[in-house]
Amino acid sequence: MQPADEELVAAFQGGDVSAFDVLLLRWDRKIQGAIYRIMGSEEESRDLCQETFLKAYRSLRGFKGEARFSSWLYQIALNVCRDRMRRRKGKTLVSLDELDEAGGLPPGPAAPSALELVESRDLARAVAAAVAALPGEQREVIVLKEYQGLTFLEIAEVLGLPTSTVKTRLYRGLGQLREHLERKGIRGTAPVPAPSP
Amino acid sequence: MPCTMLREEMVAVLYGEADAETVRRVGEHQAACADCRDEMAALRGLRRQLTAWRAPEPARGVRRPRPRPWAALAAAAAIVFALGAGWGLAGAELRYEKGRVSFRLGGGDQEIRTVLDRERARLQEEIAALRAAVAARPSGGDAAFLERVAAMIRESEARQAVLMSASLQEIGERNEAQRRYDLARVSAGLSYLDGRTGEQVARTNELMGYVLQVSQQR
Repeated sequence: MQPADEELVAAFQGGDVSAFDVLLLRWDRKIQGAIYRIMGSEEESRDLCQETFLKAYRSLRGFKGEARFSSWLYQIALNVCRDRMRRRKGKTLVSLDELDEAGGLPPGPAAPSALELVESRDLARAVAAAVAALPGEQREVIVLKEYQGLTFLEIAEVLGLPTSTVKTRLYRGLGQLREHLERKGIRGTAPVPAPSP
Repeated sequence: MPCTMLREEMVAVLYGEADAETVRRVGEHQAACADCRDEMAALRGLRRQLTAWRAPEPARGVRRPRPRPWAALAAAAAIVFALGAGWGLAGAELRYEKGRVSFRLGGGDQEIRTVLDRERARLQEEIAALRAAVAARPSGGDAAFLERVAAMIRESEARQAVLMSASLQEIGERNEAQRRYDLARVSAGLSYLDGRTGEQVARTNELMGYVLQVSQQR
């Protein structure tokens, strides 16, 4: 059985430096993914992911375990992103080249047709642009919920907010994404008829 | 109930985190409210659209280097540590700050040096005073006095040794902390370069594939 994060943290704090490697292997992809969605640049997400883990390494001895290790790590990552955003005055970069690689249909049994591929890439670009256009606090909640799959409680812990505020930010963020995509002519679904009694 | 009152509940239902009672309440409301029903359907559709944006497969951002480089790094680190200890003893200082390694000869930790200097001066004064006292005694002086002087000198030497040992330990700890930090930076840098190189190779391979394909078609 894999040791829990908290056990690895305790081992590290007890002098077993290799425990940090396990934590790193367990979390670096997720953290890098979150940073990518927030910052919009693959190269920058690598740099900031490294910065996140270096900060974590340097301060893990002082980690008191008041929050989950993962929440603490996400907090560091978000702070690193916010610092970088402040330095570049809030602009989120969305590289079209990266979107060409990142977009597209999820892998399935049948190969997508050329038209499906183009439509899917267009949609990926539109979604990335819509997420990038969100205010920072909504973007963070959307990324943590929609792309990282955190629960409302976990997000509340990461952001230090009540869960009701998290839900409100998420609702507003989803609304803005919808508007943004609809302005580009992309609609979610047609109106739904009332269920028959 | 007004629609705005149910927004939080609606979000909880949308993400499958609502309890049974909330699901029932939202369901009942939506059965009677076409706007909320449409909104929920639109949000479900939006969630499907959001999956179109996939993050690129991340390269391992930070990782422990493979065995060989690690062994080489460990050896290098051991040498650096040994040199560091030597430099530390000589009062030199090795620092890694803002991405630069700097080495100051004779700089050392000013605080420790000041304390050591002060202590050495005090001890020298003490020894000189004792020597003067011994010299002032009539010749063939008593053995008990000499023994007391010898004991005082031994105590003085022991205090000096303890002080020196504490200073060395502190310097050693600082060097160790710096070493770990430097290793983590080196490791991160190597991983980054590793990731970049892998990407370049993949792109080159892809390009070569296209070139071969085109040349075969011709």
